[in-house]
Amino acid sequence: MTARILVVDDDVSLAEMISIVLRGEGYIPHQAFDGQDALAQIPEVKPDLVLLDVMLPGLDGIEVCTRIREFSGVPIIMLTAKGDTTDVVKGLESGADDYVVKPFNPKELVARIRTRLRPSSEGANSVISVGDITIDVPAHEVRRGEDRINLTPLEFDLLLALALKPQQVFTREMLLEQVWGYHYKADTRLVNVHVQRLRAKVEIDPDNPLIVQTVRGVGYRAGESVGQADSDS
Amino acid sequence: MMQAAWRAFLRGLGAPLRLWRGSLLTRTVGITVTLSGIAVTVIGGYMSLTIADSLFTGRSDQILSETARAATTAQSLFDNSVTPAGTIDVETANTAAQTAIRSAQSSPGGSGFAILRTPGQITAQTMTSTSTAGLDLSVVTTELRSRVVADPDQIHYQSVLVTVQGEQRPGLVSAASLQVPSAGQYELYLIYDLVDVQNTLTLIQQTLIAGSLALVLTIGVVTFFVVRLAIGPVRRAAQTAERLAQGFLEERLFEKGEDVIAVLARSFNKMADSMQSQIVKLATLSQVQQRFVSDVSHELRTPLTTIRLAGDVLYEQRESFSSENSRTLELLITQIERFEIMLTDLLEMSRYDAGAVALEVDEVNLVALVEDCLDQLSPLATQKGSNLVVEVRGGYGESEVDQRRIRRIILNFVGNAIDHGEGRPIVTFVDSNEDAVAIAVRDWGVGMTPDQVERVFDRFWRADPSRQRTTGGTGLGLAIASEDALAHGGRIDVWSEKGEGSCFRLTIPRAPLAEWRDSPLPLPPESDTIDSYLAEEDSTKGALA
Repeated sequence: MTARILVVDDDVSLAEMISIVLRGEGYIPHQAFDGQDALAQIPEVKPDLVLLDVMLPGLDGIEVCTRIREFSGVPIIMLTAKGDTTDVVKGLESGADDYVVKPFNPKELVARIRTRLRPSSEGANSVISVGDITIDVPAHEVRRGEDRINLTPLEFDLLLALALKPQQVFTREMLLEQVWGYHYKADTRLVNVHVQRLRAKVEIDPDNPLIVQTVRGVGYRAGESVGQADSDS
Repeated sequence: MMQAAWRAFLRGLGAPLRLWRGSLLTRTVGITVTLSGIAVTVIGGYMSLTIADSLFTGRSDQILSETARAATTAQSLFDNSVTPAGTIDVETANTAAQTAIRSAQSSPGGSGFAILRTPGQITAQTMTSTSTAGLDLSVVTTELRSRVVADPDQIHYQSVLVTVQGEQRPGLVSAASLQVPSAGQYELYLIYDLVDVQNTLTLIQQTLIAGSLALVLTIGVVTFFVVRLAIGPVRRAAQTAERLAQGFLEERLFEKGEDVIAVLARSFNKMADSMQSQIVKLATLSQVQQRFVSDVSHELRTPLTTIRLAGDVLYEQRESFSSENSRTLELLITQIERFEIMLTDLLEMSRYDAGAVALEVDEVNLVALVEDCLDQLSPLATQKGSNLVVEVRGGYGESEVDQRRIRRIILNFVGNAIDHGEGRPIVTFVDSNEDAVAIAVRDWGVGMTPDQVERVFDRFWRADPSRQRTTGGTGLGLAIASEDALAHGGRIDVWSEKGEGSCFRLTIPRAPLAEWRDSPLPLPPESDTIDSYLAEEDSTKGALA
C-alpha cells in the first residue's frame, strides 16, 4: 500500500517541491494551501500523514492541528521556521506528533515521515495490561474495562513502548529513539508534551498518574498491572 | 580579645548608627534638640549669672549702707559720750552704741554683730570687745581685719559661710572702724545670713532649668512633627519611584495645593509620564523588532527550504550531469549551506539585540562536551594538518549551562584555531575552580597584532580577508560567542601575539549568572604536552628539508 501524504503549505513552490521529493520516495502527495482547504480535503483524501506548516493564512497551523485532532488520529508533522520558540511547544500541545525545522533537507524529512508511517509493535501479538487498562496490540485498541480509549498512533506507540517492558525506566532519550526514531540528541519536549497528552487520555487523575509514572530525574515507566486476571478470563 | 570586644562595641553601636544614617527624621530631630539645648544652656547660664549677680549686689548695697549707718550712729554716740571734762565712760557708751547698732541692723538675715578692739594699741582705757551672744567669731577672718586696720575710713565686706542652726549658709560680713575716745580704735563687724537671697536664686535657677528642658523638649517634638510633615511627601515620592523602578509604570503621586511639595509631585508625575511613554515606545520598538526577526525568519526560510530541497533532489541525480554541471551544482549546494548558516547566525544576533534570548540550562559535563566538539572538527583539523590535543585539569563535574550555546562557542574557538593555526597543534584546556569553569583554546599559528585583538569581537570583521576560509564562518562567530558567554554571566578573554599564536579563553560561572571572581585558567595557559608535539613537528620538517 502506498501512503498518501497531505502537504499543507501556503507557499506553492515549497508545497510543490516537497511533493516532488515525496513522489521520488514513492509516496502519493496531495496539496492544500490553507487551513480550510486542508480540513476539507482530509475526509476525501484520507491521508496516512499530514505535513502541516505552522504559519498559514487565516486558520493557522496550530488551530488546524487542534481541529484535525477532533476527528482524526492521523500522524501530523509540523513544518516550523522557528526551532526554539514557544511555537514548537504550542504545536505539540495541539496534537502534532513531531516537527521539522525549516530549512530541512530531504533526507531529514523522509526519515521523519518513515518513522511515523512505520507499522508499530510488530513484536507483541498479544494483550498487555498496564494499571487498570488493557492494550490489544493486534487490534490497536486500548480499553479500560469495556470503555475504549481513543489514542493516536503515536500515543499508542508511546504507551506500548512503556508497557512492553514494565520493569524498565525509560529516559526521554530512549523514548525519542524508540518512538520517534531519533538516533541523535533531539528535543526532549516532544516526550514531555506527548506524555502529558497521553496521560490526559488514559489516566483517571492526570495529576496523580498511575499508568505512565514519572521517575524523578530519570524518565518514565509503566504502572504495575492490576487487571491481569480480568484480561485472562 | 581586644578586637572582639571592639567589634562587639561596634555591633552595639550599629543599630543606633544605622538609625542615625537611615532616618532623616531622627537626624533632624537629633541635631535640632542638640543645638537648641546648647543655645538654651548658654542663655540660661548667662541669665542665672546675671540674676545671681544683681541679687547679690542689691543685697550687699543694702548691707553696706546699713553698716555705714550703724557705724556713723555708733561713732557719734561715742563722740557725744565725752563729758565737757574730757572723760568718758566707755562701757556706758558701749552699751548705748550696741543698742543703736542692733536697731540699725534691721534688714533680714542680720544675725549679729561684734565690736572688736584693734590689737596692738596702748590707750588710756580699754573698752571690752563685745559680740552678739552665740555668734561664731571665726567668720571674721584675719584678712578682713587687716583690711579694716589698713583702711579704717572705708566700709569693707567679705563673703563667708555662716553656720546657722547647724547648717552652713552663704553669708556676708561687713566691717567698719570706730574711734572710741581715749580707748583707741575698734572694729565693728556686722554678720548677715544671705540664705534668703540664696533661696531666691535657687528657685530662679530651678525654674530656668525646668523651663529650658521643657523648651528643648517642645522644640524636639515640634521639629519631629514639622519634619515628618515635610518629609512625608518626599518619602511617598521615594516609594513611588521605587514602584516605578520595579516596573509599575502606572504609579503616580497625589497632587494637591500650590506649595513646593505639590510642585515636586507634579514634576515627578510629569517625569513618570514621559518615562512611561519612552519605555512603552521602546518596548513597542523591541516587539516590532522581534516580530520583524520572526517574520524574516519565516519568510526567508521558506524559499530557502524550497531551494535546498531542489538542490538536494538534483544532487541525487548528479551522476547523469556533465562534470561542469556537476561542479556547478556542488557550488550551488555549498553556497546554500553557507547562506543557511549565515541566516541562522544573523537571526541569532538579532535575537540577542532584541533581548529575546532565554538560556536552556542543562547539567552538562564540559569535558565530554569539549571532546565531542573536537571529534566533530577532527576531520577538518586533519585536513589542515593540525593535531587537536586536550589538556583537562578540572571541570569533570557537571555545570549548569546551555549546551547548545557552549558547544557553539567551543566549535567557534577551535574552528578559528584550525583556520589560523598554520597546521600546528591546537591545545584545548579545561579547568574549574569553586565558582567558575573555563575552556581555553590555544594555537601556535599566525597570531594577531594588538589592533586586531581589539577588533576581534566586531561583527563581520576578519583578521585577514584574503585568507582562505574553511569552516564557513560568517564573521559573526565571535560576536555571537561573546553574547553567549554574557548570557551565562561569563566572559571571553583573548591573548594573541603576532607570529606566536592566539588563545581564546571562555570563563563562565558554574550556574548561570552566578558570582565568580577568577578564571580557573591563566591566559594563555602553559601547556604540558605541546613542547613534545612541536619538537616532533620540527624534526619532521627538518627531516623533510
